[in-house]
Amino acid sequence: MKRRTFLLALSTTLIVAFSSAQTPEPPSILVSRQLAETEGLAEGDVVRLALDAAGAGARPFRIAGVYEPTPDPMRLGTVPREVRMHLPDLLALTSDDDAPTGAEHVARINIALADPANARAFARSVNGRAPGVFARRAAATGSASTFVVLERFHLAIAVVTIVAATVFLLALTIMLVDERRETVGVLRLIGLPAPRILLQVLLEGLLIASAGALFGLALAWVSEGLINRFFQWRYNTALIFVQVTPRVAALCVAIAVPLGASATLAASWALMRRGALRLARR
Amino acid sequence: MNVLGFAWRSLVRQPARSTLGILGVAAVGALLFDMLLLSQGLLLSMRGLLDRMGFDVRVVSSDQFPGPGPDLDDAQTLAAQIAGLPSVRSVVTIRSESADLQRAGGESVRVTFLGVGGSTVRPWTVVSGRDIAADRELVLNAYAAEELDAAPGDAVLVKAFCFPEDTAPPQQTFRIAGIAEFLFDAPDTLGAATTADDLALACAQEAGKADFVAVVSAGDPEAAAAAISAQHPDLRAMTNEQAVGQLQQRGFTYFRQISTVLSTVTVSFALLLITVLLTVSVNQRLGEVAALRAIGFSQRRVVLDVLCESVLIVGIGGGLSLPLGWLLAQWLDGILKRMPNIPVQLHFFVFEPNALAVHALLLGATAILAAVYPMRIVARLPIAATLRNETVS
Repeated sequence: MKRRTFLLALSTTLIVAFSSAQTPEPPSILVSRQLAETEGLAEGDVVRLALDAAGAGARPFRIAGVYEPTPDPMRLGTVPREVRMHLPDLLALTSDDDAPTGAEHVARINIALADPANARAFARSVNGRAPGVFARRAAATGSASTFVVLERFHLAIAVVTIVAATVFLLALTIMLVDERRETVGVLRLIGLPAPRILLQVLLEGLLIASAGALFGLALAWVSEGLINRFFQWRYNTALIFVQVTPRVAALCVAIAVPLGASATLAASWALMRRGALRLARR
Repeated sequence: MNVLGFAWRSLVRQPARSTLGILGVAAVGALLFDMLLLSQGLLLSMRGLLDRMGFDVRVVSSDQFPGPGPDLDDAQTLAAQIAGLPSVRSVVTIRSESADLQRAGGESVRVTFLGVGGSTVRPWTVVSGRDIAADRELVLNAYAAEELDAAPGDAVLVKAFCFPEDTAPPQQTFRIAGIAEFLFDAPDTLGAATTADDLALACAQEAGKADFVAVVSAGDPEAAAAAISAQHPDLRAMTNEQAVGQLQQRGFTYFRQISTVLSTVTVSFALLLITVLLTVSVNQRLGEVAALRAIGFSQRRVVLDVLCESVLIVGIGGGLSLPLGWLLAQWLDGILKRMPNIPVQLHFFVFEPNALAVHALLLGATAILAAVYPMRIVARLPIAATLRNETVS
């Protein structure tokens, strides 16, 4: 019988040992992908888990599968080396042998309500009826949750970036329009009215902005995979760092195209107010 | 006229494009400045909070800090042994448990109940009332006082949950001595604190357990930590510096990474746009540059003119970006601090002189690199052909 024992840096200090023991059939557990990779565990392996580093009271468990832990941005940088087991198995592993049946405790119970809006009232009711139990609404999913706050932060960064880009865009379009001053003057001299020229400029702006927006989206799609792969490798996580969704793409186009066209139009506006002869330098 | 003055006049002659260029650099520079503040902000802020607590060294049972490591048993004896070391000035044991507090006739609220033993150094600041002085006294934070509708002098019933199987803990009456501010309180944290002995009383057990032991060194934290480690090799003594190092490894990486990515993107963005601005500007003035060369301006001089224009745009924009970035940092800090369980006094954007130096360095490099291509155009400009083309057109 081949047997080897090694220590795992689990939060509860578990001892794990491979074993080929077949009888009786040990209870099943799941191990996190990261733990399975670092310790070379696979589905079907039998491991022994104990509460102390010396391995006292170790019990065998069969690995039923490997799971990907729910990615958590707040735990970025820590590799989740975790094991999940059925609650009765955990209680059997952690309870004292002389503890009477039914005296085991659990840290918390998660409850899904038929109507989540009643969470506060439900918690108050439980607190009133069960002394020693503290019920509270699950972690905020509204305006204060981590993801919502991070989304706001990214939005704020995006706003600043757009402002900076707009200013630069205006500067560029002013220069580009200025470069075409003589052309515009000649067009005015041969009879084209200012609104007609402005329309042409607007259409040009729209075309350029659309091409720029599409190029930007293509760049984002290409970099999305690269960024995700790099950071998923860097942090050993399944967390998706960048995701170009249709909504995000549509939002980008909806901002970029009107902004580009407006900048061109705004830069051309001052030019149209000058006399045709002055524009043509005649 | 010197090169800088000439470049200044070139910019002033085209006020719209120059102003927009400078404003663009200011906006990008502000974002860059903020990202530099963010890269180390949390760590600096955490370090500041740890220092402000007044302790140099923390003694814990495992490498997990902060974290739910095992309790320290017989902490009072441990504290006495550590206090006897010559490199140690004073020692405090700190333990936290959950407790229900209730005023007579009122609703109970669940608080984090701190028990502090050892010296008279307290990890809180009393803002009204007084500090705990007698038995069965406690201090509350402002949020807990508001939730309980309690004030200094009021009595509260305390039920402390010190064991997982504690379904019906004993009830003790405490008196509120004052309202205190705890450095690591989040806006919605309900907190209370008393002595280690009184917390043990509320737990109906002997005083002895502690989450960690906080130490004030005699002046050299490293020496104190080493002495404690030598005295108790089974424990982990870490200085504030080491604790922050642990936090840097285990958490906070997200903001450091995002700061690096955004700094890179920002600098690239600025470089690209300033290059385009200068290139288009130079292309529009090729005839003018050729004329200057024809009347005797050297190649080096016209190249320097372009470089100085770049330096002026980036320099003025960069200068404006600092106050703008500071205002922006306050706004972004306010957004990020809405995350749950973030201490009120912790900040994501913290100023340090190093950030200013890196900001100046990056913008300086951007100004030079952005000018390289337009400088090349000016340097290689064929004078006669350009003048002829200009005349013909």
